[in-house]
Amino acid sequence: MLIQVLNGIAYGGLLYLLAVGLVLIFGLREIVNFAHGALFMLGSYIGFSIAAVFNFWLGLAGSLVAMTVIGIFLDAAVLRPLRKHDHMVTVLVTFGILLVLEAFATAVWGKSFRSMSAPDLLSGTVQIAGEPFPVYRLFVIGVSLCVAAGLTAWLRFSRVGLYVRASSVDPTTTAILGVDTDRLSLIVVGLGTGLAGLSGVVAAPLMALSPTMGNYILIESFIVVVVGGLGSFSGALAAALLIGQIHNFGAIYLPWASTMLPFLLMVGVLIWRPTGFAGKRT
Amino acid sequence: MPLLAFDHVDATYGQARILHGVTFHVDPGERVAVLGRNGVGKTTIVNTLCGVADIQAGAIVLGGERHTSPRHYLAARSGIAIVLQGRGILPNLTIEENLLLGASVDRPGRWDLGAVYDLFPILGERRQSPGLGLSGGQQQMLAIGRALMANPNLLVLDEPSEGLAPVIIDELADLFRRLADEGTAIMLIEQNIGLIQRVASRYYVLSKGTVVESGDLAGMTTQQLQDHITI
Repeated sequence: MLIQVLNGIAYGGLLYLLAVGLVLIFGLREIVNFAHGALFMLGSYIGFSIAAVFNFWLGLAGSLVAMTVIGIFLDAAVLRPLRKHDHMVTVLVTFGILLVLEAFATAVWGKSFRSMSAPDLLSGTVQIAGEPFPVYRLFVIGVSLCVAAGLTAWLRFSRVGLYVRASSVDPTTTAILGVDTDRLSLIVVGLGTGLAGLSGVVAAPLMALSPTMGNYILIESFIVVVVGGLGSFSGALAAALLIGQIHNFGAIYLPWASTMLPFLLMVGVLIWRPTGFAGKRT
Repeated sequence: MPLLAFDHVDATYGQARILHGVTFHVDPGERVAVLGRNGVGKTTIVNTLCGVADIQAGAIVLGGERHTSPRHYLAARSGIAIVLQGRGILPNLTIEENLLLGASVDRPGRWDLGAVYDLFPILGERRQSPGLGLSGGQQQMLAIGRALMANPNLLVLDEPSEGLAPVIIDELADLFRRLADEGTAIMLIEQNIGLIQRVASRYYVLSKGTVVESGDLAGMTTQQLQDHITI
């Protein structure tokens, strides 16, 4: 049982790394970024390519840096110019970016599945409660918890974190009070995209790399954001860990329904509490 | 040089044109009221200043510079703090965090957390409570305190008396007069005649999105004021 719980935490941690980027971008730009799964995929491939030449750790760092830069470019070149347009226009543009990035990945890395190995340091298993458990999944849990703790501290104690929290609820009022939300948005979209890249590399040894690898996990990340409460960072963490458990135990005990369970959870939460776990009742 | 001027501004929300050639100015240290019935475009003046409504013609002038497409944060960074209608309290932040948000422009001056807590002791006593846990009057104190944290040259107040008890409105009137006496210009967008009379010295009347009258408030009777703002 403990092993299965840990597996669920590892998957939930991955979902959190991806979903928290969506939360960051949704909060400030008020858009649902359909390209986020493709950015996860691109980060994965970039890490894969760097790791093939150097090593896993440089792949991890290189992908984080490259995707952060891509995120800054995405905000400056795409999201900011579209800020005065209807949100649906921006959503459709992000969907277009998804298609472009998938075509780009197909052209560069091909359609066939690629695999990326965990580094030697993280290979093998450890005994937990008398059962073997992969070291790499402990690493995934560790990275997720470190990111969650780091983000929480940043949001809670730093001045920029205060601005991000304020703008995640009301970006217009935050800007009217004097916060340069354009500069803040560069930071937030860069960070969110960088985390998508980080999660892509962290996930790579656990899943096959393909141009469409981001699609399913993106849908589950959307469920995390909705269940956690739009714009809520703590809600996203709670929802990701819960959906990780549902995903894992569902696959074991209700395999015929396992892909449905996260959606059923979302429907149930929306009926019970339409604003999600951490949203305010209206 | 005026702290704020509107120069023949036409402003729209999408296709809807709300302001038509609006022109006014607020000089340093002035106490100016903008009057008008509901729906004549008073709040659109604030929204235009904040870049929420779009300028289609004319320009706003801040510190001598003309702007036709101001960003939301431009006014605050030009020394103009705005107390929004509805107060704009951030519900996920504590009282102290809401106040600190007002200091984001980093303008030097006498207003800091200590000065605001001296002015409104209830905010200091409940500094770690959520902003929305306050009563209406206390929320207005928070919104005003947050605006003061920006150490503004001009304080723009959009319907500050809305939903408040008469005794609180009296306190606000005293506060606005005191701030003006200390050198902060006041622009009061309001329908409460008592508050207007106690605070403002000059006025503009807005009707159907246009300034139709202006002058010194000293020359206006209560009945004339009433005629301008009664629905």
